[in-house]
Amino acid sequence: MAILRAVHLEKTFAAAAGSTAGVMAIRGVDVEIEPGEFVAITGASGSGKSTLLHLLGGITRPTAGKVILEGVDLAAIGDDDLALVRRRRIGFIFQRYNLLPELSLVENVGLPLVLDGIPEARCDAAARAALETVGMGHRADHRPDALSGGEQQRGAIARALVTAPAIVLADEPTGALDSENSRRVVELLRSIVADHGQTVVLVTHDPGIAAEAGRCIRMADGRIISDTLQPDSPGRPPVARQAPAHRGKSGGKRPGRKR
Amino acid sequence: MSLGVFELRRLLVRQWTRRPGRALATIFSVAVAVGAVVATWVSADASRVGYKSLTSAIEGVPAVDILSRAGGRFEASDVPALAGIPGVRAVVPLFYRPTLLRVGEKRVREIAVGVDAERLVAIGMLELSAGRACTAIDEVVLDENLARSLGKVVDDEILFFARRGVRRMTVVGLAVPTSLRWFGEGAGVVLDIAALEDMSNALGLVDRVRVALTPAADRKGVVEAAGKLLPDTLVAEIPAGRAAMAEDVMHSADLGLDFVTGLTVAMSWFIVGNAMLMNVTERRRSLSLVRLLGASGRQIRRMITMESALLGAVGAAIGVAAGLAAARPIAAGISRSLQAPFTGLVVHPAIIPLSALMGILVAVAAAWWPARQAAAVDPLEGLANAPPPPSPGIPWRFVGAALVLWAFATGMLGLVILEKLPPRAAVPAGIAMLLSFVAMTPVILPPIARACAALVPRRFRIERELALAQILRQPVRTALTTGVLVVAVSNGIGLGHAIRDNVEDIRGWYARLMSADWVMTPAGTMSAAAEGGGAGPRSAEEDVRAIGGVDRIDVIGIAAGRVAGGACVIVARDVPDDAPLPLDPVGADEATVRAALARGEAVAGTVLARRLGLVAGDDLAVEVFGRKTKVRVAALVVDYTSGGASLILRRDAAKRLFGLESADVILVTAKPGEAAALRAPLQAIADGRGMLLRSFTDMKRFVDGIVNGVVGSLWAILGLGFLVGSLGVANTVTMNVLEQRRTLGLLRAVGMTSRQVTGVVVLESVLLGLSGAVIGLIAGLTTALFIQIASQPLLGHPIRSTLRPTVILANMLAAVVVTALAAWIPARRAARIDLLEAVSSE
Repeated sequence: MAILRAVHLEKTFAAAAGSTAGVMAIRGVDVEIEPGEFVAITGASGSGKSTLLHLLGGITRPTAGKVILEGVDLAAIGDDDLALVRRRRIGFIFQRYNLLPELSLVENVGLPLVLDGIPEARCDAAARAALETVGMGHRADHRPDALSGGEQQRGAIARALVTAPAIVLADEPTGALDSENSRRVVELLRSIVADHGQTVVLVTHDPGIAAEAGRCIRMADGRIISDTLQPDSPGRPPVARQAPAHRGKSGGKRPGRKR
Repeated sequence: MSLGVFELRRLLVRQWTRRPGRALATIFSVAVAVGAVVATWVSADASRVGYKSLTSAIEGVPAVDILSRAGGRFEASDVPALAGIPGVRAVVPLFYRPTLLRVGEKRVREIAVGVDAERLVAIGMLELSAGRACTAIDEVVLDENLARSLGKVVDDEILFFARRGVRRMTVVGLAVPTSLRWFGEGAGVVLDIAALEDMSNALGLVDRVRVALTPAADRKGVVEAAGKLLPDTLVAEIPAGRAAMAEDVMHSADLGLDFVTGLTVAMSWFIVGNAMLMNVTERRRSLSLVRLLGASGRQIRRMITMESALLGAVGAAIGVAAGLAAARPIAAGISRSLQAPFTGLVVHPAIIPLSALMGILVAVAAAWWPARQAAAVDPLEGLANAPPPPSPGIPWRFVGAALVLWAFATGMLGLVILEKLPPRAAVPAGIAMLLSFVAMTPVILPPIARACAALVPRRFRIERELALAQILRQPVRTALTTGVLVVAVSNGIGLGHAIRDNVEDIRGWYARLMSADWVMTPAGTMSAAAEGGGAGPRSAEEDVRAIGGVDRIDVIGIAAGRVAGGACVIVARDVPDDAPLPLDPVGADEATVRAALARGEAVAGTVLARRLGLVAGDDLAVEVFGRKTKVRVAALVVDYTSGGASLILRRDAAKRLFGLESADVILVTAKPGEAAALRAPLQAIADGRGMLLRSFTDMKRFVDGIVNGVVGSLWAILGLGFLVGSLGVANTVTMNVLEQRRTLGLLRAVGMTSRQVTGVVVLESVLLGLSGAVIGLIAGLTTALFIQIASQPLLGHPIRSTLRPTVILANMLAAVVVTALAAWIPARRAARIDLLEAVSSE
């Protein structure tokens, strides 16, 4: 059963000043993410891939359609409930790391737990454990501005994992990194899928990184233009699946997938 | 809510330590707001103390009188114990009688007052310059001026004409004239009360019991408390006289001070709100990130609220200290201008805790809107690092709030005019009216700002467009800033007009009343009704008439009277046909008034008329020292004597009706070019009669000093408004600069000089100032009209209002200059933007 499902998803941004028409960024997307999948979403700039990720993560609300995470329609719940879902069930990784500069790395990692009202000592222990997982335990008490980009991003990955979320969403996580750090981050993501059975959806426009994922969704003009399983990719899930052939359209039609 | 469940406290503390400037700016704003309130409040109290001191200087000791309800004398034993009433300093039975003193061949008509002199001396309420208090039946104490004019010293003898015949009495003491004022009613001879009663066949009877009060006592409270204790036959009332005038002046000024204090509180709300909004806006990105990571709106609101409470508490503590420090020189200045000694700050015990509490509450309340904004922040904003989106459309909530405030204000004003509510109710009404203008600011600001921007020269087109766009981008925040300016400018313009109009009304009245070159007054303040002819001031009048170079003499007699159970002042004065009418009739022409006065009718002050519901043609039963007479009121006049509670007659009528022929004030007008030459002979007469001689210029200076003191104290407090307003503008412009970092950075990158960037920021600030000033002008003129209408019930007559371009220009210029200066720090910050950081921030 899919852990995350988008149904007839649409997103239109409000018209800019001086213009009457809004910008339709997502046009009737249907997609399902299975548990333990490592999915890459690719496409050119403006294709809607980041917007789709934001919709899947409940960061922004769709204009039409549904986003169902573990049976809960994120489009139908209130702001505070949505915050609770983001806090407990979704881990986010961003291109710019987005660590709070005021807090140390371990405090940044423990923040979602702190928000959940968990006692500080437990937050601290869980955060340190998450940092050990990403190989950053030795830098736990440093401030973000004392860390390299790669280290900050590994810290951000630890933050995304600390609540043991249902799904991790990563938006261009290597976009600001050099090739060596990019490689380490991708390895890390792949390992959390392989070793921990975590579900990861990653947005990238780097074909090399997309090739590491077990499934690749390509987007253009707000639509999914292909959704393929990558049998030879290192990120392929343990259970073999067959990707559907590219259908060339997605508007209103759920992309079929064969297992 | 406790710190234990406050999840984001660590983030908050880290934010404070990482960016202490932001937290300090918020603390500073709260401190400024609380400091302004404390300084205003304490200064207002200093003004009140000054006014009371002024009252004391005029009257001696504030007091309340116990009188017979039916008029005339009453048994002293009927008066219950009043010493227990808070504020009562001494209870002093008084017995007056006109008498004649004979010293050699000289006969002097005088008022004798019977009092327990020994006790008054013992408690320091009667000061002797020589000798001791009178206790025996044949002992007197004389006013030292009177003694000097009679050539008498301690142990000399005088003849005292009493009902039981002539008594030979010994002068045992000389009294300092000022210490006689508060009970003497012009009396120059003091006897033991039992002796005077005995001589008058009135043992045990008194004319009045004067209840002397402490300077801080609440007179009306004492009147009420005494009224509950007194038997039905007696009544407690505030004595009529110049003190009543001071009290009415004080009452008006009190309203003004209340108004200014209330506005300062309102203004402090804008400043703290602005600071909190800035505090939150600066952190939008980190707040949106925390939201993205799963913080609920409630958690964010809680964080902001807790932060505002903590910063508010620190700011309030600093503000209280700063306010007290600032109040000291202001209060000293006010005391100086009111000619009252400054003996240190008088801080009401409630001021400090209430101000501190206000700081915290205002900070929390002011954070409500920013907290809502923060809780509603779009998580995407944190990712995009973009400035907050502009608010779309007309903010109807503000229009609704403005209409509610306006309806409240006009409703209250209407009830004040109809006298269903006391004049004090005009204060919250005025504040609500002003706030309604502020609430309308988001709606009316855009067209006004565009109109102001159109005045900017074309060569600054880019700067103008950028500045205008930023101002209009966040109408609520801009409204908070301009709100402070609107309050400051409308305060200045509204109160400025009202104060000037009132002052001119008083000066106009005074100029009509006291049109002369020289003014002679006795040492006392008011005469009792005298009987028959005799010497004394009357002979002074004759002496003056005998001097060459005198063109005209106008004599004014003043006596305390009662009408319809209340106090009033009877003014008896010459109304020469060949001189301008020294009165300002309301709704009647001069000829009618002259004719009516000549018939022996009276004119009534507008305040008295309003209190009694008098109209021209009414008949009044007036009592002066137990003698009741019916008088017809021919017309109403503007009069500030006794706060307008006066009844004015011609001297011949006053003598016929009340036996009042005293000459309390002699106005001497010299022939052209002779004014200076009259000083020496007039001074000689004054010295001989124990009178004071002052030139009209001196008198005018004295009155101007008092009026300027009142006006100055209000201006000083209003000045604080502009200072505080500039801080609000600095806050907003700083916030705008932060939001415009990327735009300004890009402009710098493509070649805009740092001077041009500075120009954008300064222009933004000046446009804010100008827009605020224009809205403040509209609000100020409305406030002036409001005050004029609201003061009518108090004064009983409309004040002529004049449009004053200098007041308007001064206030608007002050707003623009203050805002231009306030832009200095943000402009420097803008000019120093790191180009690389700015262009890579997205």
